[in-house]
Amino acid sequence: MANELQFKPVKEMTYTEAVSELESILQMMQGDKCDIDRLTDYTRRATELLTECRSRLTTTDEQLRSILAQLEK
Amino acid sequence: MNEQSLTLLQLNQRIASLMTVPDTQNVWVTAELSDVSARGGHCYMELLQKHPETGATLAKARGVIWANVYSRLSVDFFNATGQQFASGLKVMVRASASMHPVYGMSLVITAVNPEYTMGDLLRRRREILARLEKDGILEMNRQLEWCEVPLRIAVISARGAAGYGDFINQLYNNPSRLNFKTQLFEATMQGDRTPSTIIAALDEIAKHQDEWDGVVIIRGGGATSDLEAFENYDLAAHIAQSPLPVIVGIGHERDITVLDYVANMRVKTPTAAAEWLINRGDVALEYLRSMGASILQLVSDRIAGCNEQLSRYEALLPTAPLTALERETSRLRGDMMSLAQIGARCITPELARLDHIMKSIASATDVVLRRRSDRLESLQEMLNALSPEATLRRGYSITRVGGKAVTDASQIPAGTLIETTLANGTIISETK
Repeated sequence: MANELQFKPVKEMTYTEAVSELESILQMMQGDKCDIDRLTDYTRRATELLTECRSRLTTTDEQLRSILAQLEK
Repeated sequence: MNEQSLTLLQLNQRIASLMTVPDTQNVWVTAELSDVSARGGHCYMELLQKHPETGATLAKARGVIWANVYSRLSVDFFNATGQQFASGLKVMVRASASMHPVYGMSLVITAVNPEYTMGDLLRRRREILARLEKDGILEMNRQLEWCEVPLRIAVISARGAAGYGDFINQLYNNPSRLNFKTQLFEATMQGDRTPSTIIAALDEIAKHQDEWDGVVIIRGGGATSDLEAFENYDLAAHIAQSPLPVIVGIGHERDITVLDYVANMRVKTPTAAAEWLINRGDVALEYLRSMGASILQLVSDRIAGCNEQLSRYEALLPTAPLTALERETSRLRGDMMSLAQIGARCITPELARLDHIMKSIASATDVVLRRRSDRLESLQEMLNALSPEATLRRGYSITRVGGKAVTDASQIPAGTLIETTLANGTIISETK
């Protein structure tokens, strides 16, 4: 592949932006317009977005413990 | 002058006996409650009548409900109105005037009509709602949209209250480990200070509204169910105009306050508020999961499809050239046949046309020839009539010299051989 696809860094995106990008990737894949050469790129991007979205929604054990500790103060 | 004086006790007793007549006993009276307090199972209060416009006190009397009555009355009243027998309420009570030599006059209450209080509460609530509507703010908070996943929640409640603890426990022990962030903005959740402290908390939250997705107002909990404090225009107006969507969970199932009409959402309990928020998060997580699954499916389908295509091509490869040759051969053959057919199709009508033309020519020639031959015949006849032979036959003769016809005898010298042609035969003679 000659030119790399340009994606906005996920950390700079809002949750809603990330979800809409996911939706558009999904739509493109469903629409069969997806260039097979780009498939890896898009899949990697979708995974990155999914991971970021999930991590925004959920918390780690460690974070949770610290929150609960604060509340008990 | 017979100056006879009474002891104070005697006077008070006299007043008491004058006061305690049927007209002052078991009378239904309407009043507003104030300074309600329970001591030793008895309930003490001030009964007020205020001027409807100015609010100035027009009448005031001490009231008491003895423990034997109050234990039952308070329960009945609460069941009927959803309200604690508390300050600020308008009540209709059955009272009897009583005079104590030490404590003075008080009204002993033996019954209450909860319907009067309900009617008054509803009327006041309607007034507040009508004012909110008139001000155009009644629906403002209700029309706010929640962000996709509300995780940053500003909580207005009383610290250490059971309801707040329930909310926090529920929220942070959610099975999906949703990453909630909460902060308590303390407020007094009962009594007169309720509206002002909640308003102050709302203002504080609004100052940093970008840091929050929504506000949850939950009751401090405990046994008290004094909702009167929430029936307040200023508080309702602040909630209505909050820039963040507000969830209120201050009542019980049956109880409704004016706040339930203005808040974005009303829940029955603090736990229900937490559950709603958790559900929003779970729905979002489920959506992410389903998108992930779809992408995985689409990608593997796509790759499988490509593989299948490749192997189909691979299978075709050994036979493809032969097939191509055969296909070309048969195409050529086909072309040839088509060509022949096209030839036949084009030539046959042409031949037929030529045939036809030839026939036409033949018949046209015939006609012309016949016409010509008829004419020749008639000319022949004419010619025959005019011919020298015919003239000769009538007795004329032609004289020739050297093959030339002679028409002037003077031109012929003597001794010339002349040839005389008759109808039958020729005579040669010599001139003299």
